Amino acid sequence: MLEVDLCGLRLKNPLILASGILGSSASSLIRISEHAGAVVSKSVGFEPKEGYKSPIIDNFKCGMVNAVGLSSPGAEAFEEELKKLKVSNNSNRDTPLIVSLFGSTPDEIASLTDYFQFADAFELNLSCPHAEKVGLAVGSDPELVEEIVSEVNKSTNKPVFAKLSPNVNDIAEIGKAAERGGADGVVAINTIRGMVIDIYSRRATLSNISGGISGEGVKPVGLKCVWDLYDSLKIPVIGGGGITTWQDVVEYMLAGANAVQIGTSLHYSYKMFYSIKESIKAYLRVEKEEKIENIIGKAHV
Amino acid sequence: MKEVIRHNEDTATLKFQNNIGGFPGQFIMLNLYDHEEIPLSLSSPKSVTVRAIGETTNALIELEPGSIVGVKGPLGTSFSIPIGKSLIIAGGIGVAPLIYQNELLKSKDLKPDFYYGARTAEDIIYETENMQISTDDGSRGSRGTVIDLIESKKEEDIVDYSKIYCCGPEIMLKKLYNLFSKYNILNRVEFSIERHMRCGLGLCGSCSTDNGLIVCSEGPVFTGDQLDL
Repeated sequence: MLEVDLCGLRLKNPLILASGILGSSASSLIRISEHAGAVVSKSVGFEPKEGYKSPIIDNFKCGMVNAVGLSSPGAEAFEEELKKLKVSNNSNRDTPLIVSLFGSTPDEIASLTDYFQFADAFELNLSCPHAEKVGLAVGSDPELVEEIVSEVNKSTNKPVFAKLSPNVNDIAEIGKAAERGGADGVVAINTIRGMVIDIYSRRATLSNISGGISGEGVKPVGLKCVWDLYDSLKIPVIGGGGITTWQDVVEYMLAGANAVQIGTSLHYSYKMFYSIKESIKAYLRVEKEEKIENIIGKAHV
Repeated sequence: MKEVIRHNEDTATLKFQNNIGGFPGQFIMLNLYDHEEIPLSLSSPKSVTVRAIGETTNALIELEPGSIVGVKGPLGTSFSIPIGKSLIIAGGIGVAPLIYQNELLKSKDLKPDFYYGARTAEDIIYETENMQISTDDGSRGSRGTVIDLIESKKEEDIVDYSKIYCCGPEIMLKKLYNLFSKYNILNRVEFSIERHMRCGLGLCGSCSTDNGLIVCSEGPVFTGDQLDL
C-alpha cells in the first residue's frame, strides 16, 4: 500500500530521513531505518571539516534555525562509518541508504561517489544556505548545477538526486538545469535563510549569526516549490520542508512529490516515521486508494 | 552568574542568580558568549560544576561574578528516587550530578552510600557523611580506584541496593557495567553517560551511542539494561 518506486529504488514507504538529522553515525541511521522508507546521511565532503562552534541550532515557535557548517569527518572516515549500515547483522540493511555529498567543484563532488560504492543513491547538497563556497553559491548557478550533476552521473551508475534551495528566484530553472545534467530526481527544499535574536543577551542565537530555517513554518514554501517543480520537470520530485504530521505528507504528495523527506520534526519524537506511516494507511483506506502512488500530483487538476 | 567557587586548579562551581530547577542528572547547554555553547550537568538547582579541559571550560572557571551567560534547559533525563537503600558511585568530575542527587536524597531522609574516586586529595571537591573515598595516589582515603572499593564489597551487599547511580569516566562506567551485568542488576543501575554534543536538541545525532540512543534527548541518564557498554 505504501511502497513507492523512486528511480528504481523500492521504498517500503515514501518517508525518507532528511540529511543532517541523526545522520552522522551509523547507529542512529540504523535505528531510523526500521520504519523509514530510506535514509539520507549527513552531507560529506572530501576533507574533514570541523563545522561552526555551538550554538549550531536554535528553535523558535514555528521551527528551527541551524548553521552546523557542514561538519564532516571527511570521505574516508565516513565511508568506514556508513559501511556499518550494510553489514549482515543489521536487520534494516535493505532500507536504501542515500549518501549526501557536498563540494566546491564538479570534479571534487564526483570524486566522492567512489568512497560510497555501497550507497543505494546519492543526494547532491547544492544548496546549504550557510556554508561559503560549497553551498548556495553552487546551487544558484544553473550552469554549474548542470555540470556538477553531469559529472557525478558519470562517476556512478546509482541514482543521483539534486537537492535544491528555495533561496533562488526560480527554483524550476535550477531544477531544469539538474534534469539536463542527467539527475534522476530533485529534492526540494533545503532550508530557507534566516536568523533568531535573543532579546536579553541582544545577540543572534547562532554562532554563525544566521542559518537555515526548517520546521513547520517553511511548509507552505516547500509545497509551492514542489508544485512548480512537478509542473516543469519530467523527473521525480522528492518533497520536504516542515513535515510534522501525516497530513503534511499527503499534501506534499498531492502537490507532486513521489516521496518526502522528514527531519526537524524528529525533535518531537523519534517514532515520527512509525506514527506517520500508520496514519497514512488509515487515510488511504478512508479515501479508498489502494496505493499511495495513486495520489501523486493529484492536486494538479 | 552570581558566584564562582574555585575548588582547585582546574575545577569550579558556577552559581547562577536564578534557580534553574530540574532534577539531578539533567544538564543545561551553557553558552559562554564569544566562546562556545557546551553541555554541563547541574550540581544543584542553581549551579554547574566544571573541570577545565578545553578553551571554553578554561574561560568558564575564570568567569567574573555578574557575567551574563546563556542557559538552555534543564534538558535530558534524570536519576530516579530510590525506594530503600541506594548507592552512589562517582569518578572524577562525574561527581557533579551526583552531588545534586545526594543532596536531594538527603533532604528526603534517604541517605545513600557514596563512593567517590579521584586522582589525588586535591581533586576531591565534595564530601558528605557516609562517603568512602579513594585516590589513585592514596593521598586521601584508600589507595586505588573507586572500582577497587566496589569490588571489595560482597556481592550480596551490592545487590541489596534498590538503586545504584553512577557517573564518571567511560572506562569506569564500563567496568561497573560489566560487574553489575554479572550480578544481573543492570535494570536497577542508572548511568549518566557523556558524549560529544553539538545541538543538545536531539537532532544532529553527534551524541548517539553504539546502539543508536541519542544521549542529549533520551539520556544522559540511562538504566544499564538500555545500554551496551
